[in-house]
Amino acid sequence: MSFKPKVGIISCSGEDCTGGNISREATLKALHELRPNETVTICLPLFLAGDEGERSFAKTFPTITVDGCNKLCAAISTARFSSDPSVKINVEDYAECISLNPKEKWRIGESATVVEHIAEEIARQVDRLREEWE
Amino acid sequence: MSKSNKSQKKIVIPCSGIGKAFGSVSREATYLLTEELNPREYRTMCLPLLVVDDEEAIKMMHSSEIFTIDGCPKQCATVSVRKSGGAIKKAILVAKVLAANKDHKPGTVLDIGEGGRLLAQDIVNKITAEEGD
Repeated sequence: MSFKPKVGIISCSGEDCTGGNISREATLKALHELRPNETVTICLPLFLAGDEGERSFAKTFPTITVDGCNKLCAAISTARFSSDPSVKINVEDYAECISLNPKEKWRIGESATVVEHIAEEIARQVDRLREEWE
Repeated sequence: MSKSNKSQKKIVIPCSGIGKAFGSVSREATYLLTEELNPREYRTMCLPLLVVDDEEAIKMMHSSEIFTIDGCPKQCATVSVRKSGGAIKKAILVAKVLAANKDHKPGTVLDIGEGGRLLAQDIVNKITAEEGD
């Protein structure tokens, strides 16, 4: 049986925008509900704090970054401190951040459907990356 | 200890660690203070912006009083602010606050539960009491 790696999911979790909370909630849904045995998470701030474990995982195994806005902090940080993410997901491709309710940066309400869509996309990409792994 | 400069904005930056309940508590405490209890004086900022050296974020940080809330001893929020040249007014470690309030144990990263919400309130109290807010 061939080896199938776990996929690292890196969420921006941006605190000051609803897109950040959507990225975090979608990532948690994929990690805990949709693909709990096929994924791990990596704390984005640990890249800057200099954790070698986080950096070396992302150098070796496939990663998916999930960003809340077009600044793409998770994707840029992953590339800078480790290696290019295998997949880059941007919440703004699913919903215009300006149209999101700013109150939802704390608790998701009407954006729950966006969270669902992104979580499902993460799961789809996890399956693809594991299938294509050599 | 000197009182705060009231004209200066106060920024609360949690680690938002996604792997542990303490990370979620750091986030809950931040929103409790910046969205509900005192949005006029406190606000938050995206920590990842510091990781990518966002100029606007760094400029704002330099003109504000910074409070960090970290879930674990790696203290990513505190380390990130320091690496970006920010001066921290107070760095809070969730585990230390829990040690002083042992009944307020959080649930999981997905649902911090009543204990986690009480712990978030303890953290807010720790910030505001010393600030005299």
